[in-house]
Amino acid sequence: MIKSRPLYRPFTLDVSGRAHLVVTDQPELPEMVDLPSVDLEIFTVQTVSSEIEAPVDGNRRAFHAVVDLLAHLPRRLANDKIGLRIYAIGTEAFVWDVHNIARAAGLGSAEIHLTHAGSLRRRVYCAHCKTMSEDVTDNIVLCPGCGASLLVRDHFSRRLAAFMGVKVDAEIPGEIPAAESLYQ
Amino acid sequence: MNLNLKPDETFRGDFSTRNSDTAILRFPFPFHDDKYMYAVNLEPHVRGGPTAAYDAIFDLDEHYIGECRDRALTLAEDPLRCQVLPHMIEAEWDTLELLMESLAFDYPEHFTLTKSGTDRHWVNRPLGLDRNFTFGDASSLPLPPFEYITRQVQGDFTLHDQRENTLFMDGGMVTSQADWSLNFDLGMTFHEWHGPVPVAHELGVFDRALAYLMRLPYGKPVRRLNWTLTVHPRLDTSPETYPIWGPDKATITPANVGAHMCLRVELQTLTRLPRSNAILFGIRGYLIRLDELVRVKKWAMRLHRVLRDLHPGIAEYKGTSRYRQTIVDYLGAFDDGSIISPGTGSEQASLREVTTA
Repeated sequence: MIKSRPLYRPFTLDVSGRAHLVVTDQPELPEMVDLPSVDLEIFTVQTVSSEIEAPVDGNRRAFHAVVDLLAHLPRRLANDKIGLRIYAIGTEAFVWDVHNIARAAGLGSAEIHLTHAGSLRRRVYCAHCKTMSEDVTDNIVLCPGCGASLLVRDHFSRRLAAFMGVKVDAEIPGEIPAAESLYQ
Repeated sequence: MNLNLKPDETFRGDFSTRNSDTAILRFPFPFHDDKYMYAVNLEPHVRGGPTAAYDAIFDLDEHYIGECRDRALTLAEDPLRCQVLPHMIEAEWDTLELLMESLAFDYPEHFTLTKSGTDRHWVNRPLGLDRNFTFGDASSLPLPPFEYITRQVQGDFTLHDQRENTLFMDGGMVTSQADWSLNFDLGMTFHEWHGPVPVAHELGVFDRALAYLMRLPYGKPVRRLNWTLTVHPRLDTSPETYPIWGPDKATITPANVGAHMCLRVELQTLTRLPRSNAILFGIRGYLIRLDELVRVKKWAMRLHRVLRDLHPGIAEYKGTSRYRQTIVDYLGAFDDGSIISPGTGSEQASLREVTTA
């Protein structure tokens, strides 16, 4: 068990909320999510460069990419957030990015619900040059910033929404073990 | 207190720093018994203890100037070694006040603080600083208050906000740490930043320590010791610079272990701050080469036994696997196996001369 890693809960509606915004880094909400019969505002990611067709349901909005969604979120949260509950569903890095944006917009931690769904891939913070590596599936990753081979430590920072990576061959340069694909 | 300040010492590169006989005898040796296990081990932080390192609230010694310079070098390379979250500004001023008043009280020949209303006049003679400023007005200082003062004190410091039934690490000056990263751990709760420590969670040590610290009253600081092993007297053994100091760990041999291997002890102090209700965590580090430490008979014998019998999980976490046996062999030559008394004092008024094979 990774003690600095949060425990995530399955999606359930927070009935104390007046309005509900569900954001996911996937094209559709995962099947495990049992949608309640209240009005939900839903943000998804389609990962296409062409124009996204407006959904039939006016409360659904699709974005071209995760970055696109995250860039839009502060504006959405700047207005009409009294009684709002936000639910992030997706990879660990994504849900914590949403969490940190929501906190910066003034939501309390009890108003933010995180559900880890889909891939176990990790965002990795290079302890040496501070560069982030996205979507890491192996326990050793080449840092795109400084070129170090980073061992992914089981230590998670919510503020950075990332796991720590440290140079795996710092003590004996060149002695790099075979990577294992641990985070699919 | 006469500090006998050394004007230029280095803690990197040629590692010119040495401990005088006085510095060795005042070393805060951490092991009461022949066995070591994690414990809460908090005690009141009052002036006075087994060695002279406990005589001041914030202890300074002959390495003061060199350690402040080493901190400045580290900050020039990596400004994120000092960060305080914006909501902690009151705790920054609390820290500045506490450190200035403590230093001026304990070392009047080196530091002077003069107060009139909110006007302050601070004189730091060893570093050649003379500053008038207004307490509470950050624009009257050349740096944010926490960074300004912690650049002038030996040891690392972190600031802890108390809310949601835990302590959050919401600030720090961390340039001489035993392999943890402020930029990574900033904003974490007590249990999160201790996450990587083995064994102690299962012993309930962190639950008990947190419960104790949440009730830490103003005016009653507490202290504890922590320790690890470091190759060379290098202050900056951070994850950030691990590619620089990591290779040293593979260089220890029976011939150089006494001169290169250091015991690193942290005299940790926890102080409730008056305005912010935050806790200031002081991590005052001391480095002693093994060939300096063995000049105290009892310490050589005790360290030998502690390292020889160390819990494997703790030995692994403290990163000792490459050289623990070499150290144990070296220290074993100083241990005749006789019973030694409990406690950490040196029990010697002066140091013995030691020659090693």
